[in-house]
Amino acid sequence: MTVDVQYYVLLSMAVFCIGLFGVLTRRNALLFLMSVELMLNAANINLIAFAFYHGNLTGQLFALFTMALAAAEVAVGLGIILVLYRNFRDVDVTVPTTMRW
Amino acid sequence: MAVVDLPQWLALAPALLLAATALVLFAFDSINPHTTNRTLFAGTTVVGALASLAVAVWYAAAGVGATGIENYGVIDIMGGQFVVDQLALFFMIVVAVVTALVAVASHDYLRDHAYQAEYYSLLALAATGMSMMAVSNSLVTVFIALELTSLPSYALVAILKDNRGSVEAGLKYFLIGALSSAIFVYGVSLVYGATGSLQLEAIAANLDAAGEMGGLLGLGILMLIGGIAFKTASVPFHFWAPEAYEGAPAPISAFLSSASKAAGFVLAFRVFTTAFPLEATTAVIGVDWTWAFVILAIVTMTLGNFAAATQENVKRMLAYSSIGHAGYVLIGLAALSTPSGDLVMGAAMIHLLVYGFMNTGAFLFVGLAEYWGVGRTFEDYNGLATQAPVACAAMAVFMFSLAGIPPFGGFGSKYLLFSHTIEAAAENTALLAAAAALVINSTLSLYYYSRLVKALWIEEPLRERDALATPTGLYAAIIAAAVVTAVILAAFGPIADVATEAAAAVVG
Repeated sequence: MTVDVQYYVLLSMAVFCIGLFGVLTRRNALLFLMSVELMLNAANINLIAFAFYHGNLTGQLFALFTMALAAAEVAVGLGIILVLYRNFRDVDVTVPTTMRW
Repeated sequence: MAVVDLPQWLALAPALLLAATALVLFAFDSINPHTTNRTLFAGTTVVGALASLAVAVWYAAAGVGATGIENYGVIDIMGGQFVVDQLALFFMIVVAVVTALVAVASHDYLRDHAYQAEYYSLLALAATGMSMMAVSNSLVTVFIALELTSLPSYALVAILKDNRGSVEAGLKYFLIGALSSAIFVYGVSLVYGATGSLQLEAIAANLDAAGEMGGLLGLGILMLIGGIAFKTASVPFHFWAPEAYEGAPAPISAFLSSASKAAGFVLAFRVFTTAFPLEATTAVIGVDWTWAFVILAIVTMTLGNFAAATQENVKRMLAYSSIGHAGYVLIGLAALSTPSGDLVMGAAMIHLLVYGFMNTGAFLFVGLAEYWGVGRTFEDYNGLATQAPVACAAMAVFMFSLAGIPPFGGFGSKYLLFSHTIEAAAENTALLAAAAALVINSTLSLYYYSRLVKALWIEEPLRERDALATPTGLYAAIIAAAVVTAVILAAFGPIADVATEAAAAVVG
């Protein structure tokens, strides 16, 4: 028995929206990063479900690339959050306001 | 026809040379990790960028990617994942030029920096990503090239680790960048769901099969536009730009606002012309996507220019003006629904080329002012011309060119863009609004650009300054950019032909 593809899309959209909600409401840079990871993984769910639906491997392969790139992004992001903490003694993204428009 | 037969993959040589430069810099750094021999590192980067530029110009002149019996035709690499055509080579040239200018200027700007090799290798890696963005022909390679550009850029913006402004800029750039790349990749997954492929031509071929998934496809395209808007600093993902450009080291601001923007646009040009041909896409999703770009173009240029007019900080003014210029170039995509779409897109490409010189130069002048330590606002720049007339003359050239005043390069490209848009407006009256917005915003931009020139040349300094140094690297880069900005109008005919042919080949 297989699950229809639209349920996967619903699941991934739910995960994506949870991530987006987190991005918009969280002030802690680390939680912001986790929310972005949720959004990226929502895309992975889609890619793999659609790869199964279309019967080709392109989507699964791209999901692997996406995971690797997400890891690289987190590595750079954590580095930036580390220097943020050293300079501002906080990881709250609303604290650094030396520049304002 | 060929004097030497090169293997197909060597068509990617301009990008590969930049990647090799990054690796050579890593090798230097691992042999001697504590060295701060900035001449060696900057020199290596400049040599790599110039080699990339030379190869790209050679390929473009030899007819790689151009159609016709005496040329080599479009080169597909790895089953169409990469494609080298005239459009790709044009933007590889822009990226290589900006990289070389930025590397030369960084030599002086980063004189006391502890991490020299890291800086230049990140610069070379980001440039590699931008070069790859020009040749990517599948949403997989597009996304990887996009990230290869973004990740080193985040680090470069935040590279002044003890400078609060730089770290704050890096954080904001990273947060918005991570969000927009998540949105972009979700868009990719929806496009894949609707069409079952990621290679751009295959997407176009499978569009009619998308049928009932038209809604998903439309949402996916909208999300792709979001990712591209981030890279090009256009509305609605523009708000990182003023922060990132202001806080970043000035050469990096120049790099991001010129090369990164150009790379984002070549990606947009290729994805939207190749993967989503207008009639077929409209039939599936029910909306003509050029409308999105008409609206974005008008909003972006208006917002950028009006915000720039109210700034007191010079770097921030340039950042907002860079958003405004992204709006002008977006017309190139907005006009694709008309028969003269290729002409408008060609004009937009030329504007990006000229912009690569004049905007890089302007940001490098700000870098020079930061090197002198004269301050950041318009008032702080008062009367600099009496002490540094050559650099200030170059800055005047950049400002007038950005505003679009003859006889500088910016006039030529804006004129082409405007006249072709008017031509296209005969078919689509919405473009008339875009053309009008272009003229109104250019007029407005003259106000704040000339305000800076007035501060430099006419105002009296607020206080006494010490004698100003003349750092060779910064001066060389600024003067080179100014000379090209001033004389490029003389070579405009051939450049326009190349750009229009390149645009026609992908629109075709």
